[in-house]
Amino acid sequence: MTMAQKTIGQEFFKGLWPENPVTRQLLGLCSVLAVSNAVINGIAMGLAVTFVLVFSSFLVSLVRKIVPNQVRIASFIVIIASFVTIADRVLAAYFPQLSKAMGPYVPLIVVNCIILGRAEAFASKNKVWPSLIDALGMSGGYVLTLLLMGFIRELLGNRTILGAQILGQWFEPWVVMLLPPGAFIMLGLIIAISNFIEFKIKERRRQP
Amino acid sequence: MNLLIIFISAVLINNFVFYYFLGLCPYLGVSRKIGPSISMGMAVTFVLSLTAVSSWMINHWILIPYGLDYLQIVSFILVIAALVQLVEMFIRKVSPPLYQAMGIYLPLITTNCVIMGLALLAAMKNYNFLETVVFGVSAGIGFTLAIVLMAAIREQLELADVPRPLRGAAIALITAGIISLAFMGFSGIIK
Amino acid sequence: MNLSTRMIVVLTAVGLLSGSFLAIVGQVTKERIIFNKRHEIEMAALKVVPGARSVKMIYEERDFAVFEDRDEAGHLLGYALQAAGTGFQDKIVLEIGVNAELTTVLSLTIIEQKETPGLGAKITSEEDFLRYWQNRDCTKELTLRKPPVKEPGALASNEVNAITGATISSRAVLNIVNEAIKKARQLKTEGKLSGMN
Repeated sequence: MTMAQKTIGQEFFKGLWPENPVTRQLLGLCSVLAVSNAVINGIAMGLAVTFVLVFSSFLVSLVRKIVPNQVRIASFIVIIASFVTIADRVLAAYFPQLSKAMGPYVPLIVVNCIILGRAEAFASKNKVWPSLIDALGMSGGYVLTLLLMGFIRELLGNRTILGAQILGQWFEPWVVMLLPPGAFIMLGLIIAISNFIEFKIKERRRQP
Repeated sequence: MNLLIIFISAVLINNFVFYYFLGLCPYLGVSRKIGPSISMGMAVTFVLSLTAVSSWMINHWILIPYGLDYLQIVSFILVIAALVQLVEMFIRKVSPPLYQAMGIYLPLITTNCVIMGLALLAAMKNYNFLETVVFGVSAGIGFTLAIVLMAAIREQLELADVPRPLRGAAIALITAGIISLAFMGFSGIIK
Repeated sequence: MNLSTRMIVVLTAVGLLSGSFLAIVGQVTKERIIFNKRHEIEMAALKVVPGARSVKMIYEERDFAVFEDRDEAGHLLGYALQAAGTGFQDKIVLEIGVNAELTTVLSLTIIEQKETPGLGAKITSEEDFLRYWQNRDCTKELTLRKPPVKEPGALASNEVNAITGATISSRAVLNIVNEAIKKARQLKTEGKLSGMN
């Protein structure tokens, strides 16, 4: 199978839509569901995941030729775990309220399938620069999905966005949106809509 | 009494799948049939019990006494990965039929949020040794309950006419949401 | 070098590098993290006893702690009791301020809760719940007033309002508080509270 050389733009963009880690690859769902109940949590998690993904991919790509095959998973795990620890410690030190609100989900980034998945599938097989772009694109797709969920859940469940009230008192909040069932159903719907759009795009491509 | 609260909480009220959102990745893949789901659940419960014990020991015998709590994440994940390797090798040697039944799920379990989640939550809640073990086993039972329920429903869904965009993960998540809603009825049974 | 050696070298290098790097990060953030944890608890302990300027933890066990609250002059104003228990959904951690004789509840604040937003979570609301906890008589057990009344004055001296639609959360808080006061009284009779003015 010949691999077509992707342009830098394509490498980046693929993470945002066609290979979106959440809606297409179904990775990292645990975290998206857990922290999308408020936009501010989503922003914090998005930044943390971006930090870990970019730096891990960078380092993995850098050492890809040196690390023997048998120990690569172990090494990748240590690298990823280190960056997750940094993100978690910094959050706990300088943003204690956020850190408490996020609970165990920032440390859980270490088992977020996106990070190890990208390290395995891409960073360990490509040069540093493409790996960075890939990481940024994947992070971007993740953050976009997370923010979309966050906006909808916070707005409908609390009348607010980022804590500022947007909808008036006339709107009776859909509290379920802030609770686990709302998260599951919302994500299911978003994936369904993204599938639907993808089908439509494919159909349009088939017709000349 | 406290142990009973932990058990009921982990299985029903704060179910690892329906409340903590953990264990979804393999869940969406494996939970299509009841049989494999039960095997997966058993494997996870087994690994969870071992993880509960080892994470408690690491935390209370090494990390806290020497002030190394910044190494918690790294040490937990490495121990879990090693544990799963050992368990896989052990089962393969000792009982090939058991390996056939559940061994193949073990590599999937390493990056399963449930295991790491349990280690982290038990550490955050500051449980003592016995409480951690009960928490671990209960979490496994809760996880098994969750995926078996999902598998049962999904087996039925196979026969239904699901609209194309919803097929696969989307309908699975919506189903999980409805079950999660039902599980919320268990809140407050501990008074 | 052969494969085995290379594996060991790489693993050791990765381990050492990551370990040292994390040690540095750990040290840099350690002070702030410890401070943050203590700060939150101390703020709550100060808040629940009006006029308090300093707090000191004098007793600690699992899910229960007692703080001495003193004013600028060092006089004992009362105690702040930090207690935890099971709520509707998950653990509730709260801080209750009591006077030095353990006869009056001065005020209540909720430190941690995971109750239902819009219902049980109202236990954190000053307007809907907390203000009814000011200056309660706790010489006997506190009880819940259901259905709730609007004016705090309409409550009996040892009554607090339940939240409509969140009886279980309200009762959970009540039980935690009653339990905490009982424990504090027990400690006092055992002479474990300093009680020095």
